[in-house]
Amino acid sequence: MDKHDDTSREPVEKIIELRLPSKLGYERVAMDTASSLARRMGFHDDRVESLKTAVSEAVTNAIEHGNQQDSAMKVVVLLTARDDELIISVADQGRKILDQDDTTSSPHIADVLEKFDKGGWGIWLIRELMDEVEFTTAPSGGNQVRMVIHLEQ
Amino acid sequence: MELILPNELGYELIARDAVAAFAWRLGVPIDRIDDLKTALCEACINAIEHGNSLKPDLHVEILCRVEDECLVIEVCDEGVRPFAPKAEPLSIVEKLAGMGSLRGMGLMLISQLCDESGFVSRDDVGNCFRLAFQRHRAASLGCSSNPGSHVSV
Repeated sequence: MDKHDDTSREPVEKIIELRLPSKLGYERVAMDTASSLARRMGFHDDRVESLKTAVSEAVTNAIEHGNQQDSAMKVVVLLTARDDELIISVADQGRKILDQDDTTSSPHIADVLEKFDKGGWGIWLIRELMDEVEFTTAPSGGNQVRMVIHLEQ
Repeated sequence: MELILPNELGYELIARDAVAAFAWRLGVPIDRIDDLKTALCEACINAIEHGNSLKPDLHVEILCRVEDECLVIEVCDEGVRPFAPKAEPLSIVEKLAGMGSLRGMGLMLISQLCDESGFVSRDDVGNCFRLAFQRHRAASLGCSSNPGSHVSV
């Protein structure tokens, strides 16, 4: 097998990069951008809705927690469209580093209902809605979540 | 907000939806958002087709910001083909009379839809087209900001 054969099997991908200020409300821009791309890729409506929710949660987490709502800090959303999947990467600048334990645990409904703050469902929701989810450190040193949603033919 | 797109026809629709969400968040009236969507698509198609000569490895960058009471959008390409204004562009009537190609009306259309539009100089190589919209007024009364070496179209 020569090098040309290897190259010919690499997935064709197109990347859209979106840079947003860390202000609540801008997650809607990310939602609409991601859903616009997903619809054009052929995702069904219910999957697009799942994607919008997951993107919203990921960007809100990055704004609120990772960047501590410092509007001078950026949230970078990378949308990578492949023939059979859409990869969404959301990275913040890491003013607050996410505890890895927080990325795997599931909240208990009874505990959450007793708290004044009913938040804390974002990561759980993302894991429920996306086909693959991975929390890593961004090249910039911040928090990064990589989500994959597969395109069913 | 910044958006970087692949240089491929069709991606102007993703830009349209992203920037419309941004404009909505800033309080731009819905009828002006419709104008913005059409004008932005035209500017992106110009950048993809002309500025970047449809080369698939290039990118189009879109920058959105608020200047005074205006939403300002800059659509920048990598300048494979620099913009060269025609001395006497044909009018729509002349085009319909068969005196020239029916294409090439994008800049004219944009100028009718925006409060302000034109090419601006930039430090980097490439063409940069600026579109401005009043944030809180439906009527086109112009934007008062100083865009530097602005050339109206």
